[in-house]
Amino acid sequence: MTSSPSTTLPEARSAVQTTRLPLATAAVWAVSAAIVGYALIFGGYAATIISFALIYAVFVSGLNVFMGLTAQVSFGQSAFAAIGGYSSAVLTTTYAWPPLAGMSAGLVFSLLAAWAIGFPTLRLKGHYLAMATLAIGLITYEIAVEWESVTQGYLGISGIPPLGIGPFEAVSDRQILVVLSVVVLVIAFAVKRIQHSRLGRSFAAVAGSEEAAATLGINVARTKLVSFLLAAGLASISGSLFVHVVGYVSPEVFGLHMVILAFSMVYIGGLGTVAGPLIGALIVSILPEVFRGMKDSQDLAYGIALILILIYAPKGIAGVAGAFDARRAA
Amino acid sequence: MDNISLVLQSLISGISIGCVYGLIGIGFCVIYNASGIVNFAQGAFVMIGGMATSVLMTDFQLPYAAAAIGAIIIAGIVGAAVERLVVRPLWNRNVAIFVMILATLAAQIVIERMAYILVGDQPKTLPPVSDLPPMMLGGVAVNIQSLWILASSLIIIAALNVFFKTSRTGKAMRAVSINAEAAVLQGIPVSRMLTLAFVISAMLGAIAGILLTPTQYTAFNVGVPFAISGFIAAIIGGFGRPLGAFIGGIALGVIQSMAILELGAGFKNVAALSLLLLFLFFRPSGLLGSTR
Repeated sequence: MTSSPSTTLPEARSAVQTTRLPLATAAVWAVSAAIVGYALIFGGYAATIISFALIYAVFVSGLNVFMGLTAQVSFGQSAFAAIGGYSSAVLTTTYAWPPLAGMSAGLVFSLLAAWAIGFPTLRLKGHYLAMATLAIGLITYEIAVEWESVTQGYLGISGIPPLGIGPFEAVSDRQILVVLSVVVLVIAFAVKRIQHSRLGRSFAAVAGSEEAAATLGINVARTKLVSFLLAAGLASISGSLFVHVVGYVSPEVFGLHMVILAFSMVYIGGLGTVAGPLIGALIVSILPEVFRGMKDSQDLAYGIALILILIYAPKGIAGVAGAFDARRAA
Repeated sequence: MDNISLVLQSLISGISIGCVYGLIGIGFCVIYNASGIVNFAQGAFVMIGGMATSVLMTDFQLPYAAAAIGAIIIAGIVGAAVERLVVRPLWNRNVAIFVMILATLAAQIVIERMAYILVGDQPKTLPPVSDLPPMMLGGVAVNIQSLWILASSLIIIAALNVFFKTSRTGKAMRAVSINAEAAVLQGIPVSRMLTLAFVISAMLGAIAGILLTPTQYTAFNVGVPFAISGFIAAIIGGFGRPLGAFIGGIALGVIQSMAILELGAGFKNVAALSLLLLFLFFRPSGLLGSTR
């Protein structure tokens, strides 16, 4: 009755050859675009909320590659967001680097860390993989708190410059929103391309069965590591984006809360889909604003909602839309 | 090491907190053996133990023992509710392992928030079980509560051992953990055993919370760190092995208190998590070898 804990399911995602337009999936994109468009037009508070949602969408896209496409699990992606975020923060404030250089350095640090961590960690499966990655995330959090000479502990680092290249800086709500939208679209396009590439198919093969994938000549360990590096890289970029948009960073940003929030987004949006991370991030970010009145019971409602979704709609919004399109095409 | 009695003192406090980690770890094992599920809502039961006892004593004027028993029963009921409302529906749908982990984490948040709404965010504490000054053993001050923790833990472990070895229900639960299909064929109500596992595990967590609260404090959000410590204890011992979890808990408690002594309190969690990673990387089956 209990299968071995060697994880998970994603039904080999058959590339649906369809002549009809995938209407439901298009609708998911249209809704996302409408939400971002609304924020762009009205600006102000709405733009702030949607900016955070887009930053989370970057983070969740990485999680989606690792969990959705490759069927591995990491509760510790916050570690790489922290490395990216703190690299950007420290390099642009103390050392006055330009934002893009700080972000790139953070990316390099994150990838190196992910590579070093990936070797021993990715051999683990099931609960062990979940716990090891959770521990890595929590250790990174503790380091951010304790390494005061660099991170200034709980106080955090403030005065981080806005995003920008050379003389161009994204300062206003709308400019930030445009930059983030472009980043999210580029990443979604890249994920789509990866999904249908040789690499993406090897992810799917590993997801289906590691033994079978190995039999087909796929280097399972390396495939998992590549997927992990992609996820870590996107997490790192999202961390950097966050600190530049907010202008401030503290350890709390990268705590367990971030991980649980990201998991909710990936499940609500639809694990293993391209549109899922975006729509999931948007919905999870907007919902608390809708229920502002019930401040104390917000987390309660949110926990209950997550449980209900896991039980009754485990494919998420984009997953349901994709299934709908597939049925129409058949 | 300048002061040997200081070392001994933190050794003793490490052992006593380690016993509590051990009890939480055993809670993980009981559920894991019955189902293969790792229940991350375990910390919520620890929180309920301390909080409910405190509320029953102050708001309902119950005597200590009655409040403690009441708290253990409440935790048991919540445990059954988690199993029926969250775990069972997912279990029936045969979900992936990390969906179950995420769902139990969400259950943890829900219970935490309910406690927050019902009782507020003020930290609460409990009086020590017996109001005696620390005992001096050759220059080493021994907190009496530590002795209570040690004694209670040993009694509970002995009682659990008797339950699993001799009682009909205990034997049935062991049969389920060895082979669920075969247990069904023997007429054992496997699904009821899973509920029972959650109840026992919740009660163990509550007992841990009650024993622990007098030495520190409790609040609605203390659960997750304790759940992680309990999980580490279970991994060190070999997942699914109650005795291993207890030994692992003591090892973890001692290493943590040594880390506090040598490196400062900030490194308590880093030490614990590093120990976890060492075991996961080099000996994932733990000291005694895991059950699955």
